[in-house]
Amino acid sequence: MKKIFITILLFTSLMISCDIYPQDEYEEFYVVESYLVANRQLPALKLSTTAPATEVYNFDNLGVNNATVQVFLLEGVEGTNPEQVFSYTNTAPGVYEATVQHDVLPTRTYQLNITFPNPAEEVNAFTIVPDTFSVIGGVPSSIVYQSTEQLEVTISKSSFPGRQNVYIFNTIADEPIIENLTPLYADFYEDDEDLLEDFANLSSGILNEANFDDNPDGTVTIRYPWLAVAFYGDSKIVANTIDDNIYDFVRSQSVQLGGSTLSPGEIQNVIYRMEGAIGVFGAIASDTIQTDILRPDFR
Amino acid sequence: MRKHILAVALLLLVSTATTAQNTASISGYIKDKNTGETLISANIALMGTTRGTSSNTLGYFSLTNIQPGTYTLACSYIGFEFYEQEITLEPGERLQLEIELVPQVFEGDIIVVESEAEKERQKDIGTAQVQTELIKALPSVFEADVFRSLQLLPGVKAASDFSSGLYIRGGSPDQTLILLDRTTVYNPSHFFGFFSTFNPDAIKDVRLYKGGYPAEYGGRLGSVLSIYNKDGNRNDMQGSVTLGMLASRALIEGPIKNGSYMFAARRSTLEPLLAALRSNNDNIPSKFYFLDFNGKINYDASLNNRFNLAFYSGSDRVNFPFADDGEFSLNYGNQTLSGNWTHIFSEKLFSNFVVTGSRYFNFPEFEIAGTPFERDNNIYDFSVKADLEYLPNEKHQISTGIWSGVFTLRLQDRFDNQDSFSSRIHSRYNSFYVQDTWEPNELWRIVSGLRFNYFSDGQYLRLEPRISVEHKPSSRVRLQAAYGRYNQFLTLITNEAFSGFDVWLTSDDGVAPAYGDQFVLGAKTIPFSNYGFDAEIYYRSMNDLFELDPFLPDAAGLDYPDLFRVGNGHAYGLEMMFEKRTGRLTGFVGYTLGYTWRRFPGFNSPIFEQTSAGRYYPPKYDRRHDVNLVLTYQLSRKWKLTSAWVFATGQSYTEVLGRYAVDQPWSNDDPDVLTVGKVNASRLPDYHRLDLSFARTGTFFGLGSAEWQFQIINVYSRRNVWFYTFDFETNPITRDEITLLPIIPAVSYTVKF
Repeated sequence: MKKIFITILLFTSLMISCDIYPQDEYEEFYVVESYLVANRQLPALKLSTTAPATEVYNFDNLGVNNATVQVFLLEGVEGTNPEQVFSYTNTAPGVYEATVQHDVLPTRTYQLNITFPNPAEEVNAFTIVPDTFSVIGGVPSSIVYQSTEQLEVTISKSSFPGRQNVYIFNTIADEPIIENLTPLYADFYEDDEDLLEDFANLSSGILNEANFDDNPDGTVTIRYPWLAVAFYGDSKIVANTIDDNIYDFVRSQSVQLGGSTLSPGEIQNVIYRMEGAIGVFGAIASDTIQTDILRPDFR
Repeated sequence: MRKHILAVALLLLVSTATTAQNTASISGYIKDKNTGETLISANIALMGTTRGTSSNTLGYFSLTNIQPGTYTLACSYIGFEFYEQEITLEPGERLQLEIELVPQVFEGDIIVVESEAEKERQKDIGTAQVQTELIKALPSVFEADVFRSLQLLPGVKAASDFSSGLYIRGGSPDQTLILLDRTTVYNPSHFFGFFSTFNPDAIKDVRLYKGGYPAEYGGRLGSVLSIYNKDGNRNDMQGSVTLGMLASRALIEGPIKNGSYMFAARRSTLEPLLAALRSNNDNIPSKFYFLDFNGKINYDASLNNRFNLAFYSGSDRVNFPFADDGEFSLNYGNQTLSGNWTHIFSEKLFSNFVVTGSRYFNFPEFEIAGTPFERDNNIYDFSVKADLEYLPNEKHQISTGIWSGVFTLRLQDRFDNQDSFSSRIHSRYNSFYVQDTWEPNELWRIVSGLRFNYFSDGQYLRLEPRISVEHKPSSRVRLQAAYGRYNQFLTLITNEAFSGFDVWLTSDDGVAPAYGDQFVLGAKTIPFSNYGFDAEIYYRSMNDLFELDPFLPDAAGLDYPDLFRVGNGHAYGLEMMFEKRTGRLTGFVGYTLGYTWRRFPGFNSPIFEQTSAGRYYPPKYDRRHDVNLVLTYQLSRKWKLTSAWVFATGQSYTEVLGRYAVDQPWSNDDPDVLTVGKVNASRLPDYHRLDLSFARTGTFFGLGSAEWQFQIINVYSRRNVWFYTFDFETNPITRDEITLLPIIPAVSYTVKF
């Protein structure tokens, strides 16, 4: 009996005595942010560093200057050799802009390269620009909020290599004032007055194309949910198809503080497709329609 | 498969035909004298010999190949008086007995000393049994609860005060097979996980196989919880009514011709509280209740043919208008039905046949700003089971059986009146097991078994060897070891904080079933008279764990394998329990040292190595140390005090190390992005809590007995932390604590008639 007890005691002590999974210390990373939009000019690029969680994050203070930023248009769809090189210049603290005019080409691959003089570090990232699409006519100039006749948007087929299209829609209100809030958002606003600006540009989150109706002519039709409308009045509805970099960034960032099957407090880093830095170097293709969301009283 | 079944059947028939004619046998049922309820795992022995056994899950026992002569037959069961009877067996006699044990009654300072050696037989490796009386006596949040009582056992952990989910030996709740009268229950919760579905009034037996479970069971990687409802009083009609603060319940049971019945009902009684809250607060549910019904009818057609029909039906409903133009409603629950036929072919061959049906459903609905979201989630599981127990001689007991069923899962999501996700899984499962319990002498007991599993989706055939060995070097020490291979074809999509939306999915082509091995070493000892000290060490592996990818934003249009992430894990630990079993003061102190690890591709990788295999991390419910102290003290003839004190290392969580913000073109809500190091590498503050329950028995105006229960949960109001939230409106981030239950008083009143 005594032997059993001593054996158990020794085994227990051995197991307890070492911390086999210690907590990491804070590590500073470069942060990159740039979104290429098909058929639009090369966008500006923001470069900064992370801040410790216990300190203030302020881009103006944390912007990184004097880096060498270049974007390469690679040959072919998934090529590796540069076809064109676009140099960027440091125009404001942490902000870099292309020195030449270039319209981003759909379905092509772009590479980001950033080098730092001291210490000698390098950032690389690639993005494939989604194919363009367009909203096909028939969008009503006005529609009554929550009427049985729901807003339907038909768009031409886009494409992305290796997977179905993935969309993010957003509704931008032209006149985002309190009086124009729809009832649900007015109720939310009462609880948190800082939300008004957020409601002015409301995102749908990620939606797979399989949610939409396929039409025989190859187009797809989306019934735009009333949930996505926070304000009455003139609104822009933007459809965006996104690349893998944005897809991974958005889907992993949105569940960092819950909302998935992960336990509360079980936080994972965002999924990055970048070497030497974190953030997002992504690409989208988009199209916009305009409509007037009428109050139900106007019927 | 068919060849195997025929071979075993032939073996049994041949063996039966060659039974020796000169020896005698004793068989029969062991029952509660007061109610006629059969007793599971009651011990029976012929004193002065090495012959003994215990009753099976139907209360049946059989001792064969006994030399003719006169013996003292002894029988014991926890909570019942020791039973002795002198019997004389003639050559070839097949004695059938119904042994009736008398429940113990506390009488002043008279303490009944029970046979410790007999009790030890109940403790197979990895097994725990909880007395229903203890479940009712333990202090509990508003309502006596089976799962919360189990959470006090070594090796069983709770995720939080709000969750009754069972996290056993490093396994998640879906790794425990939960059976009610042999029928699988898929979502055993009320109030979204706060309570388990099982009404303590209706329960007869709760048996937990924490690990290394025998070949009779399968389908889960970790554990088996088998619960049996009462058969009903076979002697007199009786009932009970309990009024509680959260729920009230009633039970009625009694005899019928050649049988018995039992019906129990329970319903939450929150409506008055909600109505009072609604007068001063917005955002109070307009409807919020649960209810459940249990029933069982028994009919003994003859001594050798017994039938019973058992059912359970329970549901939870909530309607919650959480905002103007925003409402949420949910209806979820379970229904089970089982028909059981017990047939005794002979004193050497016992059989049991069951037809089961189980349904789990949930129907959540959101109607937000004129945009509806609806889900129809239904699981149907219909199965047949057949089990045979054969006793060829006194050294062997051979068990064999089949379990075949059809599992249908229908999941339909509709968003904005259009189908957004649809899945229909219709699978067949078949299993067959054979097991031999061999006792070559009184020092050794070896249980070896083999289980075959087949799952039609993906055509998976899996073989599971199981073995356990027990050695008894002295009358006070039993050493045990066990090994088993286990497979699991199901995975549960759930959230620790809310179980009302649970969805089960299955393995399929491209999604292999999870499998794992378990190794257990144990020692069961009696250091002093009336005390017990048990210890077990376990190691278990978990491979091909498939679970819903937590980063999946939208499942529409994806191939089935793309819904999952597939990883592995392992767990190991040590459990100890020191128990005082009899006397005015009874109880136990349990200690668990546990380590649990998981790994999924890319998850918990260093920030620039996210395509790697990922690092092992402890899930949130991993707790390094657990101490449970449960004591019951009979203060007087009328008053009893029960206390439970729990201490546990804080749960793991991920410390936020860094941050930045991005501007996204499709939103004005520029999100804050966190950077972290290793996932779950920090620990919340240690958890501890003391609960007390005072029970006073008396009479109800001379019409029946009555009991008041006065309980205090979290006596010293320890504000244990559930998790941290982060406020990004402040810069730098501030961290807030979300705490668990504060001090809560509760009272209930029970009348038995």
